[in-house]
Amino acid sequence: MRRLTRWSITCGLLVSLPVAAADVPAARLIVKPLLCVTESQSSVCSMTFDIRWESDVAAQFCLNDSAQGAPLQCWTSALSGRHRHERVVSEAFVYWLGLQGGVQHLAEVKIEVLRLDSSDRRRERRSRHVWDVL
Amino acid sequence: MLRSCMQAYENALKFAALWAVVSLAHGQANDPPATPSFTPTTASAPAPAESHWRLGAAFGYGQRSNPLIQSEDIPVLVDLDIAWFGRRWFFDNGDVGFTLSDGDRATTSLVARLNSDRVFFGKTNTRYVNLAYAGNGQTAGMVDASGEPVTEPVEVQPPDRDYAVELGVESLIDGNWGAITLRAFHDVSNTHEGYELGAYYSWRWIAGRVSLSPSVGFAYKSAALNDYYWGVHADEASPALPEYHPGDGFNLEGGLVANYHITRHLRFALSVNYERLSDEIAASPLAEEDHVFAYFSGLAWTF
Repeated sequence: MRRLTRWSITCGLLVSLPVAAADVPAARLIVKPLLCVTESQSSVCSMTFDIRWESDVAAQFCLNDSAQGAPLQCWTSALSGRHRHERVVSEAFVYWLGLQGGVQHLAEVKIEVLRLDSSDRRRERRSRHVWDVL
Repeated sequence: MLRSCMQAYENALKFAALWAVVSLAHGQANDPPATPSFTPTTASAPAPAESHWRLGAAFGYGQRSNPLIQSEDIPVLVDLDIAWFGRRWFFDNGDVGFTLSDGDRATTSLVARLNSDRVFFGKTNTRYVNLAYAGNGQTAGMVDASGEPVTEPVEVQPPDRDYAVELGVESLIDGNWGAITLRAFHDVSNTHEGYELGAYYSWRWIAGRVSLSPSVGFAYKSAALNDYYWGVHADEASPALPEYHPGDGFNLEGGLVANYHITRHLRFALSVNYERLSDEIAASPLAEEDHVFAYFSGLAWTF
């Protein structure tokens, strides 16, 4: 628990907020990395995600990818878990933790995509005023 | 101190303007509707349309050197980015453009801008000197019109120069190999009555959250343009500042922008740029250095 907390702080990661109702277990989900930086609309990122979760109450938790119908992995009567997921990222998606067979997101983390190019190449032009140094 | 106060005041005005524009743009930006934070995405979902606005602000520390004699380097603490792109018209940090053609490989626009040489003449100091400026940062003994040595200190005030409004054509060409910018501008304000041609090449390299964008290029400046800004005209000449009329020449430049993307909107940015002034400019008594070096490092936010 303490190690996981320290790990999340050290890495500066986004720790998802519990979204569970009062009668379902609260859970936390930690994912690294959180951002795919790519050049163009057609480019993708090949990424390996390190996903950790923990809960105060043991239950049958499942880790899900919003772009996939089936859970990535399920745990039985577990308080925490870890999963490594290799994935090609072309658009934003969500990792979420829920109870087995359930649709409620006990915790979720959004993976975002930053595309540096633009369909309008005028946005790439560099003006030459004195303050423009970027 | 005065320069810092002036810049702080100018930045405050820019910042107020930026926030006003942000507020205005907020209603037009493509923000998602108020739905739950989780929205499943599918592989076939179309990319969201871009906002017409590009707004950003960078805070940090940087400097642009000033090659003009008796002047100070230009500090850069805030770099604001205010741009709007319509189907044809656009505004980009002071430049106003009208797009003539937009193809798969190139976009060509008619652009109006202010000349960039004028910024070096904004804040200058008056000094009494007993040596003549000889260009390239060198000095020589002062002589009068008859060639006799001058021993008394002479007051030197760098001459005033006006902003020139320039109109020209700009083509942006890109591909997997990088991007090329071609520019041709002519004075339309009867200020220097010269012209400038430029070509720049840049490319981008991405590794994880880091993006690097090196660039190289040149600007050819006509004799009329160089003479207006960097010449010492007959009515400005003195024993300390001999008359000088530069010809045309090429300025060469290279730069690198490095970004570490912390989130989609926030990045740590580092930028360096070196511009080698043409020999004709560097040899001017008004030029203390033969180059302009600029750098900046700080946090940049894109709205």
